[in-house]
Amino acid sequence: MRPSRSVGRLLTGAFGVLVLLIVCSGVAETTALVMQHRVVRELSAYVQPLELANAELRSVLGDAQRGLRGYLLTGDSQLLDSYQVARTAYTTSSRALTGLARADERASINDQLDRADIWWQHAEQQRLAVPRSDTAAAYVSQGRPLFEAFAAENTQFDAALAGRAANLQKRSSRLSTVTTAVVVALTLLAAVTAVLAAVVTTRRITLPLAGVVAVIDRRRVGALNSRADATVGPTEIRAVAQAVNELAEEADRTRVAEAAVARQRGEVRALGYRIRAHLKVEDAVREALDGLSTTIGADHVLLRMAPGQTGLPPVASLRDEHAHGVLKELAEADATWLRTGDVWVTNDPAPTGEVEPSEAERRAWAAVGDGPVLTVAVSGGEECLGALTLIRDTGPDWTPVEVRLTEVVAADLGRGVHLARLYEREQHLVARLQELDNAKTDFMSTVSHELRTPLTSIAGYVELLLDADAGEVDPPQRRMLDVIARNTRRLRELIEDMLTLSKIETGSFKTARRPVDLVALAEQALTAIGPAADKGEVRLKPELDGPQELTADPEQLERVLMNLLTNAVKFTPAGGTVTLRVYRADGEVNVVVADTGIGIPPPEQEALFTRFFRATNAIHQAIPGTGLGLAIVRTIVDNHSGRISVESTEGAGTTVTIRLPTR
Amino acid sequence: MTVVLVADDDADIRDLVAFKLEQAGLEVISVEDGQAALEQARSRQPTLAVLDVSMPGLSGIDVCRMLRADQATAGMLIIMLTARVQEQDVEGGFSAGADDYVTKPFSPRELVSRIQALLSRTRA
Repeated sequence: MRPSRSVGRLLTGAFGVLVLLIVCSGVAETTALVMQHRVVRELSAYVQPLELANAELRSVLGDAQRGLRGYLLTGDSQLLDSYQVARTAYTTSSRALTGLARADERASINDQLDRADIWWQHAEQQRLAVPRSDTAAAYVSQGRPLFEAFAAENTQFDAALAGRAANLQKRSSRLSTVTTAVVVALTLLAAVTAVLAAVVTTRRITLPLAGVVAVIDRRRVGALNSRADATVGPTEIRAVAQAVNELAEEADRTRVAEAAVARQRGEVRALGYRIRAHLKVEDAVREALDGLSTTIGADHVLLRMAPGQTGLPPVASLRDEHAHGVLKELAEADATWLRTGDVWVTNDPAPTGEVEPSEAERRAWAAVGDGPVLTVAVSGGEECLGALTLIRDTGPDWTPVEVRLTEVVAADLGRGVHLARLYEREQHLVARLQELDNAKTDFMSTVSHELRTPLTSIAGYVELLLDADAGEVDPPQRRMLDVIARNTRRLRELIEDMLTLSKIETGSFKTARRPVDLVALAEQALTAIGPAADKGEVRLKPELDGPQELTADPEQLERVLMNLLTNAVKFTPAGGTVTLRVYRADGEVNVVVADTGIGIPPPEQEALFTRFFRATNAIHQAIPGTGLGLAIVRTIVDNHSGRISVESTEGAGTTVTIRLPTR
Repeated sequence: MTVVLVADDDADIRDLVAFKLEQAGLEVISVEDGQAALEQARSRQPTLAVLDVSMPGLSGIDVCRMLRADQATAGMLIIMLTARVQEQDVEGGFSAGADDYVTKPFSPRELVSRIQALLSRTRA
């Protein structure tokens, strides 16, 4: 069986064989029936009538013999009558027997009839004899052997007939057996053929079909290179495999085309990002022109800016020489026929009458060549910034996808130009602000320096006087000099704090971020504040939990710690306690400075971080201060993305908590 | 007698320092700018120079660097007076070769004790 044969032909063959077997079976059955019928007919129409006729003959002859013998022995004429009746019947019977007989039995029948005739001749003589005479008796005994001879012949024929009937029955029975065997055999053969056909068909359809199905399944889960084997299996399955392969090819082609479009779309998106990333208008335009030529595929890309777009190049071309060469006419043509959101494709002109290229524009296109021209409006915000024209020297025409993608790039270019212009303005502003900031810092620095020089003289001379270097001073004079000294110191602190605040606020304060252990800084700060605390009889209570690393400016943090501790010590009466706690919680380093000082009146707590703010109770108690310390702390904590909070109860104490992120 | 050179463009501060140093038993030469300081340092060979950082013309740091570069004055003790507390100024002073620095506004008492500490250290 060739593997290429069709299943249809196979099935046709199998059914042909089946039909043949069924026909054979029918023929055998019919034959058997006909034969059976013949046997029955032979028996009923010939053998049995013959037997009956034979028996009748014997009966008739027997009646004749018995009548004659009785007459001879008794002289009863009635008996002679019955002989006569029998003699008449014999003629009928013998004729019937002869009529029934066929050639091969005729000899036997004639023998019998001859015997009968011999008897009849003898009987006719006897009939004439006188009854009950010796002659009659002698006749009787002479007639007996003759009758016996007939009877013997009759019996023999009967036996022959019986034998023939038996023979016929035997033949019929044998035929029936043979027929049954043949039919059973044919039926079995048919069954086997049917089963074989079913199995072979199933196998030859199922296996290759399963192969095709497996290929479809594999493709569905992503094995796109799978192809059905169209060289095996029956013709029909090959046709299916072929169809599946063609579908797969088609799907692959579609997929490849879609992938190409998707890739192009991705490139356009990336191009959009690049265009918008440029901070200069010229760079954004250049990126768009180059990107369009490579991504969409164009021989010429021309950007004409709408009139009145100051600060932008009026015309930009993919290759500058083209703007003065082949594109010269187009570059000079007015593109104002195109409004925000408009598109014109020469190979697919818009049916709406709203967009209509000018005559000059059409002439300019013709001057470039016969290739398809695509013109898209470039819009930034509400205004139309200009027109972007893409030209191919020779086909292919612009596809709807390319037109759409070009529109996307044009939109990105519009946004990019818009952003770049905003950015340029912003940059200008920033530069001016920077200048102002630098001027301010320089001014602060100069002012502070200029203030410090006279302060040095005042402080120095006051010190000389107080040290009695210029002669003894009396107590009232000393008190006055103390006031001058204290205010000089306050002025100095004020200048330092203002300078610091100015620097950290403008960002020119050199922030050197590096890993810092806040606990180490806290220990240094505690050491530094030690003398002041001793002098004020304030107990320092450190609660420092291990090294606490964070990325920060150590000098700024040191200032924070110093300002907070200085405040705490300054506002805590003798006998009080200042606690410095450093620990980590929720990924942040917490710094807590708690004192048992005078506290801050509740209405004033809000204003605590305002510059030059001083609590009323501090002023009443004449505790010195610049009012800048906490403003500096607040600014530094903000610079480090930290948070600061204050809890205070007037007369009981203040707790300042700072939370700093570790990075 | 130990001679100390004091250079500051502010006359009041110059007088203040001179007064305090003379009281401490030192001989003082006062000058008002860097150029004069350099000349006096070369001609009078003082043991120690107190130089203000910001002076018109040659700054204290320039003078310091030049003194250190000159064989004759390289061993002179130098204290800088600086109005700025920023690290870079201090570093500038030290890299120019100053032995110590005092930030303005300073205490005359502290300046004298620093000078005496330097002098005693070199004598010892």
